[in-house]
Amino acid sequence: MAKIAIIDDDPDIVDASSLVLQSKGYDVITASNPTDGYKIVMEQNPDLIILDVMMIEPDDGFFLAQKFRKMNIDTPIIMYTSVSKSLGMEFGASEMVPVDDFVEKPISPETLVDKVEKLLAIHLKE
Amino acid sequence: MFNLVPLWAKHYEEFWLTIRKRNLWFIKLRYGAVAMLLFFIVFPKYFLGIVLGSTQQTALLIITFSILIYNLIFHYLRQFLKHDADKFNPLHLSVLQMISDLIALMLVVYFTGSVESPLLLFFVIHMIVGSLILPGFIVYTFAVIIVLVFWGITVGEYYSIIPHYHITGFLSYPLHQQFNYVLAINASFEFLIFLIVLIANRMANQLYVREQQLLESIDKINAAEKEKQKYISGIVHEIKTPLAAVHSYLDLVLQKFLGPLDEVVEEKLIRARRRSEEAIELINNVLKISKLKLEDSFNQEEVDIASILARAIKVAKVNADAKGVKLSLNNRRKNKYKILGDPFLLQIALSNIISNAIKYNHMDGLVEINVEEDDENLIVKVCDTGIGIPKEDLQNIFTDFYRASNIKQFGAEGSGLGLSVVKQIVERHNGTIDIQSPSHLATNKYPGTCVKITLPFLKKQI
Repeated sequence: MAKIAIIDDDPDIVDASSLVLQSKGYDVITASNPTDGYKIVMEQNPDLIILDVMMIEPDDGFFLAQKFRKMNIDTPIIMYTSVSKSLGMEFGASEMVPVDDFVEKPISPETLVDKVEKLLAIHLKE
Repeated sequence: MFNLVPLWAKHYEEFWLTIRKRNLWFIKLRYGAVAMLLFFIVFPKYFLGIVLGSTQQTALLIITFSILIYNLIFHYLRQFLKHDADKFNPLHLSVLQMISDLIALMLVVYFTGSVESPLLLFFVIHMIVGSLILPGFIVYTFAVIIVLVFWGITVGEYYSIIPHYHITGFLSYPLHQQFNYVLAINASFEFLIFLIVLIANRMANQLYVREQQLLESIDKINAAEKEKQKYISGIVHEIKTPLAAVHSYLDLVLQKFLGPLDEVVEEKLIRARRRSEEAIELINNVLKISKLKLEDSFNQEEVDIASILARAIKVAKVNADAKGVKLSLNNRRKNKYKILGDPFLLQIALSNIISNAIKYNHMDGLVEINVEEDDENLIVKVCDTGIGIPKEDLQNIFTDFYRASNIKQFGAEGSGLGLSVVKQIVERHNGTIDIQSPSHLATNKYPGTCVKITLPFLKKQI
């Protein structure tokens, strides 16, 4: 089964997301800061990364995503945001924001599972 | 080009508008002066039984027509002037007007008896106006030139070097060669002119300084308001983080990821989730308002209201279906002029209104959305068969956190921020919002509400 890395500094969000994904049979690894997040991705090579946009700094999620892409890691990334469409911040996948999809907090289990399944299906086909 | 713009004024569009308005005002005033002069030349006898000589009449006619012609030229020129300190601008036009007027007035004074002419007093007006809009050194230069020219004319007439134009019928005998009179008029005139310039200039400078202080204060207040908004949105955002975690857990439990639930527990958890949803909605609204207040400018693009409405309705449909509320959209537009605005903000506004119409409706109710237009505006009307708004609450519904008194009994959750956001968005688009209750869909049981939004069309297309 696919391995998913969750990188978020909010332990409850990590816990809730892990529970949802583990119940669907995914293998989940977690990290609570960008440094550890970078380490687990490099060492364990997950099939999908879930990344919080805002950890210690307001945009270090973006920087971490850019760092992965610079290292030629093309693992699909889902970004957790807490300010997004409801506030008119239309994020889109781009060079600045090299991620594949967004999930707005609070996380709805169905949405999360749905997005994860879709991204994995596309990526595994490739 | 000579820079006449005071240092403090460079960035203020208001400064230019004031100058423009003043220019136009003086142009209009000058047409009046031309009419009065013409009347005086043609019917001098109505003015104290004055008789004008033929040279006087011809000279005054020529001066009057010159004034008319240069005034027409100024009137035509002013519309092409740009607010550019480095090029020929409205301020230069003011100077040009002033020079022309001073020359014309000096000639009129000369041909109406120079030292005997009561029209001499009109120089005072020019000096005051000049001091208000022009740099001091220019006005002082004008004052010196006027005084010297007037001195030259009176001395020339005293020694009969130039002809004197006495106005017959006004004074019983000429005064231009009475030494004491000529000296006294000259001395008083000079004193008056310089005193007026001095006083008017001081007053104008004080006014400018005050104005500048006021503008600086406004800037400071605006900056403080922004700081406050940033602080608020920071805090509110911090509150959202733990709430989001709570909500995620509730969802997780309720969707049975952790196993089956006792029915009583589940019911309470559903209730808890609804309350946390309410809090998140409130937080999102506060963040939206902060964002609106923090932004000076917003997206300005041509907006297709039909597609925005379609999206807003699509979002609202889930709730409407759950409640059996029927949504009906009637597009009655013919010309389909575009409006200028921010599609995202407009969608927030329309979604808010439609979701209110559904939220405060009863089961199997109706929400009617009409899109209309008049000559200048796009009109969106959202009417419902809901609980309506009591008359005494209508005036307060746009206030932050205000909720109508009949909502509590109805039992719908809300933050009381929705309509205040809607109003801010509509006003950003130079539009108006109007709420009526009861609506035309009123039934025996429910009065219903009508929300009418008016948004002005893009001007160039009208």
